[in-house]
Amino acid sequence: MSQPPQISRRAAWRAAACGFGSLAFAGLAAPARPGTLPPHHPARARRIIFVFMQGGISQVDSFDHKPRLDTDDGAMLSFDDARVLANTGMRGGNHRVMKSLWRFARHGQCGHWGSELFPHINQQMDDLCFIHSLHTEGVAHGPATLFLHTGTTTQIRPGMGAWVHYGLGTENNNLPGFVTIAPSPGNGGARNYGSAFLPASTQGTALGKAGSTLPKDPVRDLKPGADGEKIMRLLPGLMAEQKALHPADQAIEAVGESYELAARMQLAAPGILDLRGETPETLRLYGIDHKPTDSFGRQCLLARRLVESGVRFVQVTYGDGSANPAWDQHSDMPQHARHAHAVDQPVAALLIDLKRRGLLDDTIVWFGSEFGRTPYAQQNGTGRDHNPGGFTVFLAGGGFRRGFSFGATDEFGSLAVENRVHMHDLHATLLHQLGLNHERLTFRHAGRDFRLTDVQGRVVREVLG
Amino acid sequence: MISERKAGLKGRRGYSLKLECKPIPRPGHPIEARQQFRGGWRNHAATAWLSGEQHRDGIRYACGITLLAPPGYSMRGYFACLLFSLSLSVPCRASEPATDDFAFFEKKIRPLLTQQCLKCHSRQAQTSGKLRGGLLLDSAAGWQRGGDTGPAIVPGKPGDSLLIRSLSHGADLKMPPSGKLPAAMIAELTEWVRRGAPDPRVDTPATNHRQTGLTVAEGRAFWSYRPVASPPVPPVKNPTWPAGTIDHFVLASLEGKGLVPAAEADRLTLFRRLSLDLTGLPPNPVDALAFANSTDARFLEQAVDRLLASPAFAERWARHWLDVARYGESVTLRGFIFPNAWRYRDFVIDAFAADMPYDQFLRLQIAGDLIPGANPSEAARNRVATTFLVLGDNNFEEQVKKQLDMDVVDDMLEAIGSGMLGQTITCARCHDHKFDPIPTRDYYALAGILANVQAMEHANVSKWIDLPLPLDAATEATLAAHEKHLAELEKQVKALQGDRATQGVLPLKDAPGIVIDDTQARKVGDWQHSTHSGTYLGTGYLHDKNAGKGSKSLTFQPVELPAGRYAVWLAYSPGDSRSTAVPVTIFCSQGEVEKSISLRAQPTVEGRYASLGEYRFEKNVGYVTLSNQGTTGHVTADAVLFVPLDRATATPAGEQLESLRKKLKAAQANGPDRPRAMGVRERSTITDARIHIRGQVATLGAPVPRGFLQVASSPKAPTLPAGQSGRLQLADWIASVDNPLTPRVYVNRVWHWLLGAGLVRTVDNFGTTGEKPSHPELLDHLAQSFIQEGWSVKKLVRQIVLSKTYRQASGVANPLDPENRLLCHANRRRLDAECIRDALLVAGGNLAPGGHGSAGFAKAESDYGFSTHALTRSLYLPVFRNVADPCLEVFDRANPSRVVGTRDTSTVAPQALFLLNNPLVASQASLVARRVLQDTSLQDDRARFERLWLLLLGRHPTEGELAQARQHTAHAASAQESWTTLAHALFATPDFRYVD
Repeated sequence: MSQPPQISRRAAWRAAACGFGSLAFAGLAAPARPGTLPPHHPARARRIIFVFMQGGISQVDSFDHKPRLDTDDGAMLSFDDARVLANTGMRGGNHRVMKSLWRFARHGQCGHWGSELFPHINQQMDDLCFIHSLHTEGVAHGPATLFLHTGTTTQIRPGMGAWVHYGLGTENNNLPGFVTIAPSPGNGGARNYGSAFLPASTQGTALGKAGSTLPKDPVRDLKPGADGEKIMRLLPGLMAEQKALHPADQAIEAVGESYELAARMQLAAPGILDLRGETPETLRLYGIDHKPTDSFGRQCLLARRLVESGVRFVQVTYGDGSANPAWDQHSDMPQHARHAHAVDQPVAALLIDLKRRGLLDDTIVWFGSEFGRTPYAQQNGTGRDHNPGGFTVFLAGGGFRRGFSFGATDEFGSLAVENRVHMHDLHATLLHQLGLNHERLTFRHAGRDFRLTDVQGRVVREVLG
Repeated sequence: MISERKAGLKGRRGYSLKLECKPIPRPGHPIEARQQFRGGWRNHAATAWLSGEQHRDGIRYACGITLLAPPGYSMRGYFACLLFSLSLSVPCRASEPATDDFAFFEKKIRPLLTQQCLKCHSRQAQTSGKLRGGLLLDSAAGWQRGGDTGPAIVPGKPGDSLLIRSLSHGADLKMPPSGKLPAAMIAELTEWVRRGAPDPRVDTPATNHRQTGLTVAEGRAFWSYRPVASPPVPPVKNPTWPAGTIDHFVLASLEGKGLVPAAEADRLTLFRRLSLDLTGLPPNPVDALAFANSTDARFLEQAVDRLLASPAFAERWARHWLDVARYGESVTLRGFIFPNAWRYRDFVIDAFAADMPYDQFLRLQIAGDLIPGANPSEAARNRVATTFLVLGDNNFEEQVKKQLDMDVVDDMLEAIGSGMLGQTITCARCHDHKFDPIPTRDYYALAGILANVQAMEHANVSKWIDLPLPLDAATEATLAAHEKHLAELEKQVKALQGDRATQGVLPLKDAPGIVIDDTQARKVGDWQHSTHSGTYLGTGYLHDKNAGKGSKSLTFQPVELPAGRYAVWLAYSPGDSRSTAVPVTIFCSQGEVEKSISLRAQPTVEGRYASLGEYRFEKNVGYVTLSNQGTTGHVTADAVLFVPLDRATATPAGEQLESLRKKLKAAQANGPDRPRAMGVRERSTITDARIHIRGQVATLGAPVPRGFLQVASSPKAPTLPAGQSGRLQLADWIASVDNPLTPRVYVNRVWHWLLGAGLVRTVDNFGTTGEKPSHPELLDHLAQSFIQEGWSVKKLVRQIVLSKTYRQASGVANPLDPENRLLCHANRRRLDAECIRDALLVAGGNLAPGGHGSAGFAKAESDYGFSTHALTRSLYLPVFRNVADPCLEVFDRANPSRVVGTRDTSTVAPQALFLLNNPLVASQASLVARRVLQDTSLQDDRARFERLWLLLLGRHPTEGELAQARQHTAHAASAQESWTTLAHALFATPDFRYVD
């Protein structure tokens, strides 16, 4: 087991031998950079990991158990299909009810239902808080994925990670405050973790991209060049001369600080990005070096290492770069098993690992998709279409109720009917746990105050512990 | 007020009325309306008191009325009348409905509204954040004022009342959203409105609150909407300082504050500033020294004119405009590339090079396709300009296509509003602007114009439109000949194929070869006949209902089959629900051949068939069997075709067809492409837009005649002719000398780009939430002279950079003016990302010339995985929206999805990492070191240091810097290496990326 490097800045400079140690730049203590705003209320969580299941995981095949699908399997019944509604404005229409291909059972002391797709996660059931009544905007991946990340299907708005980074700052000055691991280039791409009108420094730092294994050097230009050390020796003197030429220029100090931070990042980041220091037991726990789970296991373990090192917002994406992302089973539901197999053990490992390190209490783990899937077959085939009208996410840690579930879809799992929670509400609730009031986390741009939740959003207090 | 008539007193002389009304403070919670009457009479006076609590408003009131009769008359008999009139009159109403109208309201309408509507349309809903559409129905004033779309009810006119219309659940607004009301309730509400909507519910101040911006009339008095004035040039105390009118305005305001301008910047500093501001490139040392040492009295004018005339000026100033135009060459959604966007970039560059008048520049971008050109190339240019309209980072996958249409219109309005007019127009998409005098109807007046253009072809993922460009006669002839050749080849191929349609129903007689239809097949098991897909041979096709797996099969056997080789084709109905592995058996001369066929893919042969292979068959011996054994998903089958292949059996087509297809493919690949540009088409039917309630396409309000922003329209604004979109008139309105916003916004942008901050620092927002100008008279003066000089950008830039104001040295902030709003010195500024990368290339001496034209990227991966070794100016690198060049990325390139008037200038660690570690920076450092070391005109290290500093920082080295440089290079083993390090370190210093 490895601990993050606990190195004092002074020691870091010596170790780096290329720092600004000799320079009379601003004081040496590097406290965590505070956020732009004071916290609105005491926070229940300090960090958040969003485990993004790109493409739309099927709620009725995972955690939203609907016996009606078994009894009515094959029946042609009338459903309001979101895509039909969007395309034609028509409600109703006959669809063939399709039962889940996987068996459900109760798990844990809470007895929550979980399908056999997720045997590892099922074992963590007593730590999970399910919302079964989520609903969102956008029927297609593009709009819905943007909505999930930015709270709008069309406009250019900051991603949630950028908002959190803006509001809370970072806990570790050697690392970016918002990291997105293997983001998908499709369906909104960089806009999902962009800063839009927020300060550019709040945007997510992308490590790798969806559909390919994490590169060895995921942070660009982090690797010191051959001349780096020599340049860093010359630079302070030259900058001192320029400071003398422009004594009033504050920017020179800022530039100096940027070099200090860069030097610290060079020192700290490679260690954090390198998983080799982890024990064999931990690697096994995440399913690393076991083919189906290796790739996502590495991402989840990296996520743990990043939050442990003080990164505020980490997103892990299970997806790919294609137009029909991983979980998007329009015509072949059995494919869900392959994806579940790839993520089940790593996600459960993340929960176990955070818990045993005492991190789960103040770290939120949010597991979910941009939307769910229909309980009926798409075009009478063997797959399920997108369903923004009712789907399931789970939250763990960070002050959410444990072994709890909230809200419900109808008896087929089609639409959220009981205690409906909109994506705006989920955003508001997550921000709340981080100590941010979603109505006060605003940024003035183009003459008005913007929010992640626009003019919507309700903190779902029922799910808070 | 209580009228005499209602009190039953009309026409009686000598009576007098005394009315009192007072609120009673009360504790407790709101209850339903409750009224109490009390009172009595004595001889000639009757008094009645009524007290009550108004429904939910928490206000308790008491009204008293005393009626005094003339002497000699008794008031007996009037009390009841008095009471009754009081009950009708409190709360008081302007109209006086009949008694039974109120009774009708109380009996039928109030309960109905309470049960069906108030959950979302009451102050209580408002308090809990559940108010919908801004509409309150818990008071008469609520529906009179209406919601986002205006009044909900027109008393007496149910047909004109949005509330009544919404009940029918027609195409527009549907209320209640959960489902249509019973017919009886709809009839009651309709009857109520027909009666004039009698509503006794009083309004209270609390229900009356709604945030609104300035009215249009108030707005006309606001500084930015007032006509551009011609302010007199102010007198100054120090008449020797000003070099022109600009300086008079600046100095006058400085003197007003007791401030004095800074000294002029030294010549090297000024020259670097001029070079970077005008061309985006650092000066070369020879020119810089010539400028510094010139004794010519007109050295400044000459240098400025030279810079203005250089092609680099156009490149620099085009890039500024591209920021404003949200120019990008891909969309973030899946990284689709706009293959023709570069033509717009080149149009902008050419426009600045030719100093195209700014009004014409704008006009072309809005309506260039409607403006004829003097020749084909001018017509093509005009068309390319309208690419501006469709450059947005749109979400083409939006499934509600009406929504997508309006989103694209919104994007256009954002670019036009913020970019050209400095207005946050798009705030008014969902509601009247909360601060500015822009009502929602103005938004839809403008949106109506732009909604009359088609910007996309709709599909699951819609697509922008690339339109062919007008061409000169010779090119047109060449292209036409090529296209004719292609058409000829296609025709021949079709003729050989039999010109069969690939979609729809194909009669069996038109299909090639020997056709065995599904109707002739031997069926085992239950097969369902279907015509659902609409594309099939004969009368339909069969499917297995995705059931009874393993129990169903079809056998296709020709009765007459001449011996020979045949291609065997299977016609089927494809789709996502189909099986991917259907077992097929072909019985031929080799015996049984087993195959597995996917029915999910689109058929590859003639758009209808899957090839099962080529086989030899003995005479009348051969069949094809298809089963649903072991399949998941639907199994479909339509027909099996035996298409003769060899001489014995062949039709005349055969190999000839194959060779023709190859020829066609080659011609398509190698021939010239017709040049196209992204653009729009006018729609054939021109309509007005309707207000979209809360911006929603599903809830439409009243139609709005197309038009412009009322607040910025003079009586001279163009009128919109019927039958045209109005886009041409919109262009004329924006590019008009009477538009108060257009010239002010652009001269302010130019000021911002040259001095680092606008006279109005919120360059994209000239509304009430924007900043007021620091020098309003100077702004108008510049706008006036801009117009008078024919909207010439070069003349405007020249006027500003020749001012003493621009030429000041940068300096220390004065405590009296800490933000330097009054301009008592120049602002030290961070270079734009493009300037930094270009400066790296200029220093290394390897900046590649040119860059016009397409960069040749076409696939989405070009966006996701963008990287380039191009050494052209940064402006010519493709502007992809997901991935940018690393240098542009770290130094805050303009977000290509947004109108960017002001670049961010962050100072973050990734910039440091880039400058220290990026291979480009290292190789440029090496190049610049070599340049200096190999220059034989440089006699010694001192001269070389001088040259290095001039190349990189545009100035002489200080003594301290020289000492450090000497120390660093003196004992180095390799001069090239140590000078490379020195150059690299200089790249990393602040002075390289800042301009004074």
